[in-house]
Amino acid sequence: MEYRPLIAILIPAFVSILVLFSGRRPNIREAWTLSGSLLLFFIVLSLNYHVVENGPIRIDLFDLLEGVRFGFRIDGVGLVFATTSSSLWILVSLYSIGYMRSLHEHAQTRYYACFAVAIAGAVGIAFSGNLVTFFLFYELLTLSTYPLVAHEESPEAISAGHKYLAYLLGGGLFFLLGILLTYGLTRTTDFNPAGIFKLVPVAVHHKIFPIIFFCFLLGFVKAAWIPFHSWLPSAMVAPTPVSALLHAVAVVKAGVFGMIRIVCYIFGIDAVQMLGIGWILAGIAAFTVITANLYAIGQINLKRMLAYSTINQLSFILLGTAVLTPMAITGSILHIAFHGYMKITLFLCAGAITVIAGKKEIREIQGVGRVMPLTMSAFVIGALGMCGAPPAAGFISKWHIALGSIQSGYWIFLMIIFMGSLLDVVYFFPVIRTAFFEKIPVDEIPFKDVEKKVPLVIQPETRVETQKPIYLFMIIPILLTAIFSIVLCLFPNLFLIYELTQTAVDEIFGG
Amino acid sequence: MNSAQPPFVVMMVIIPLLTSFLIPILGHWRKDWCFPLVPGAVLISLLCALRTMVALYREGPVRYFFGGWYPPWGIIYEIDYLNGFISVLICFLFLLSAVSSKKSIEKELPFKEVPFYALFLLLFTGLLGIVLTGDIFNLYVFLEVASLTAYALIAMGKGDAMYSSFRYLIMGTVGASLYLLGVGYIYIATGSLNMGDLSRLLPDLFQSKAVLIGFAFVLLGLALKMALFPMHIWLPDAYAAAPSAVSAVIGPIMTKVMVYVLIRMLFTVFGFGYADKIINATGLMTWFGTAAIVFGSLSALTQNDFKKMLGYILVAEIGYIVGGIGVANTDAVTGALFHLLNDALMIASMFLTAMMVNYQAGDQNVDPFIGLFKKMPLTAVILTIGALAIIGVPPTCGFFSKWYLLMGGIRAGEWGFVAALLMSTLINVALFFRILDKAVFIHSRSPGSGSLEFGGGSEVKEAPWSMMIPGITLAAAILSAGIFNQTIIHNIIRFALPLEFQ
Repeated sequence: MEYRPLIAILIPAFVSILVLFSGRRPNIREAWTLSGSLLLFFIVLSLNYHVVENGPIRIDLFDLLEGVRFGFRIDGVGLVFATTSSSLWILVSLYSIGYMRSLHEHAQTRYYACFAVAIAGAVGIAFSGNLVTFFLFYELLTLSTYPLVAHEESPEAISAGHKYLAYLLGGGLFFLLGILLTYGLTRTTDFNPAGIFKLVPVAVHHKIFPIIFFCFLLGFVKAAWIPFHSWLPSAMVAPTPVSALLHAVAVVKAGVFGMIRIVCYIFGIDAVQMLGIGWILAGIAAFTVITANLYAIGQINLKRMLAYSTINQLSFILLGTAVLTPMAITGSILHIAFHGYMKITLFLCAGAITVIAGKKEIREIQGVGRVMPLTMSAFVIGALGMCGAPPAAGFISKWHIALGSIQSGYWIFLMIIFMGSLLDVVYFFPVIRTAFFEKIPVDEIPFKDVEKKVPLVIQPETRVETQKPIYLFMIIPILLTAIFSIVLCLFPNLFLIYELTQTAVDEIFGG
Repeated sequence: MNSAQPPFVVMMVIIPLLTSFLIPILGHWRKDWCFPLVPGAVLISLLCALRTMVALYREGPVRYFFGGWYPPWGIIYEIDYLNGFISVLICFLFLLSAVSSKKSIEKELPFKEVPFYALFLLLFTGLLGIVLTGDIFNLYVFLEVASLTAYALIAMGKGDAMYSSFRYLIMGTVGASLYLLGVGYIYIATGSLNMGDLSRLLPDLFQSKAVLIGFAFVLLGLALKMALFPMHIWLPDAYAAAPSAVSAVIGPIMTKVMVYVLIRMLFTVFGFGYADKIINATGLMTWFGTAAIVFGSLSALTQNDFKKMLGYILVAEIGYIVGGIGVANTDAVTGALFHLLNDALMIASMFLTAMMVNYQAGDQNVDPFIGLFKKMPLTAVILTIGALAIIGVPPTCGFFSKWYLLMGGIRAGEWGFVAALLMSTLINVALFFRILDKAVFIHSRSPGSGSLEFGGGSEVKEAPWSMMIPGITLAAAILSAGIFNQTIIHNIIRFALPLEFQ
């Protein structure tokens, strides 16, 4: 039996325990996190090679319920998600050190421990072999991120945390209902590239299938489709690395990943096409793409704007899934990974601007590009990726989704993709313009050392971002994610992501 | 013939009964000798219960004929899978609470240890007797033994415990009387009190009005005793007013035993077909169960007191089980029986944490739950595991019983019941995260960040080991009952189901 997937899930779980016990010594605590994340990443990489060569791995441990085992299925889609989460965990951990220490955040031990548990949840979700196992890790992810969202412990943060829980656990109930209905029909919940509903005569139960689909759709409110999105912008009160976790590493990705699992591995492409369910999903996704962009245009807070941008990008993934052509699904799966790298760049930049320059709102960041050139250049790369422009990775995935919609013959999808990407330009480019080309107002002293609360008189040309060694913990991960965003455009097969996607698409459409 | 009878069956009840009489005598001279007898007696019962289970696996149902008199004249103890596993459960929970009660009783009821332990063992005897007996009148006798001791134990508490206990006494007595009245009707109609005998005699009399009225009275009496909505009003007050050690044992077990009697009456005595097909009492039970879930959960939301909140949660949980039995298909009844076990574990862990928190921080003016993770980390972990189980998060046991109940509800098309279950899950989230929030997030509540001054003094320490070990055991039991649920269901619960569902 293959033990590596189990080890991969257990590593972050152990890290969280070690972190809890070394709370008194911050350096050792962070060392656990970093070494754990590196180890996890290498194990996932080795699994990538294994799966590309030998095909999916199945592991069944013991019975959870009749016909439902505590089982794992390590395949292309899952590994793309796991690779994204585990590689970004390394970078976010590095960044967290800089961010949390610069701000002297309280309860850092709890933060690192919960973060590790959330990663365990994400890897578990990626490797789950059936819906019940998936649900188990899905709930683990929700519960472990709650203390992170409410980390500030201010009334605002706690109410955001409550909103988060209410939406996600409430959605979880619908997910559970969907699983129960599925299990009731088929007596199995195992993921199968051909779908499991073909075991049931579709015509007999055709009324129940849309209900099941809606249950799953409501279950995956983690995908933040409108009108069930408002938990995500509210959760922006959390520290920036937590936002990165929510938006890029684990949480929302778990939602769209779940939708891909449902469409391709539970319903199966054929059943979805036959039942016409794809149109429901496509309608919701298209509506969300446009609406989220309109919301984003109206935001004044940088992080909130990014949150709406995430909602929009997630719906691109949903749209790509709903189109049901091989190219589009390739694009969707790729976008899970690529969007992760690009969005994390943007969030880390926003966090660095907050910590180093003390700015949170878009109109305040005039001239930031001159004092933090590295950060803002990384931001530009991320923004390009969001708009789907080369040389950022977003180009590749959006290209595939667009090709896929042409393949399907429904040009309306292509229209929506173009519209969405154009609107992305509308709100990202003003930020870049403000940061690089607008003058710093002379009458106010531009930058404060947030830590000491003392105004610093600095020349606009001074680079504040490399002023302190601790800041490097933030700048280096930002540069790395930005570089990855470009490298992934030139070499989409980095970490075998493209080949994994191909194996997944082959098994979905071949079977 | 007597020599061939398995002695361990009767020892289960006799040993605690005799010990409970020994304690006041011994306590007259040496108070400190009383305590070790209590866990000792319960442990012997537990071993006997396990031995009975072994015999049950090897040879099938275990019977003990009192005085060598055979039914239908004599009293018989008959142990099958249903009461076998419930008797193990009762012994297990009583053992844990006997161990954990010592310190709490010393603090809350000084100088009353001796009567407490005597009553405690008597309650244990009564509950075990109810579960083991195969005679419906003998069951009534044990019911009164257990109830009377429970009234006395609850009345030992502070504040309005007397009043709550009195109210419980009135309602409990009405319930017991109704049960007795029902037994009378059945006796008139059949001339027998033995359960096995009745199950043979009753099917011919199903058209009789006397049997119907007897059935109705028994059901009504039991509903009062198990606090099924809308006959639950005595429960939250009584359990909240009771001393911590008392509610820790009465809370999880008392109502469950009443549910057991209901199941026994439905499954064995009348046969499930009677309740389900002939008079459709099960439909009514589903509705009352659903109403109990909705009402219990919503009322729990309005409570500020932790123990009172638990009381209302218990009302809702009774609704789960009764509703599950009412849905009447294999999945739902499996879920109900499994939930009986899980709920006992969950509620026990909750009342135990209430006891621990009360013992360590109860005499302070502020909310003892604030900053619990800093002050009493292990207690907080036990609280969290129990809370997650009540909410129904996998892999705790609460998820799996809920899964079976929901599955049963869906298969039977009882959508009201399904919706109520899902809704109560969400309400439980609100209930417990209100407490867990206080336990985790102290930053905003304390002016000097990180310090516990505002949250009730950092001098509060972790609970003593005598409470911690039972707590950890319960938390481990909750998790393992969840992970190994298939083992439990396939080896015990499946055999405890009535024949038409196996």
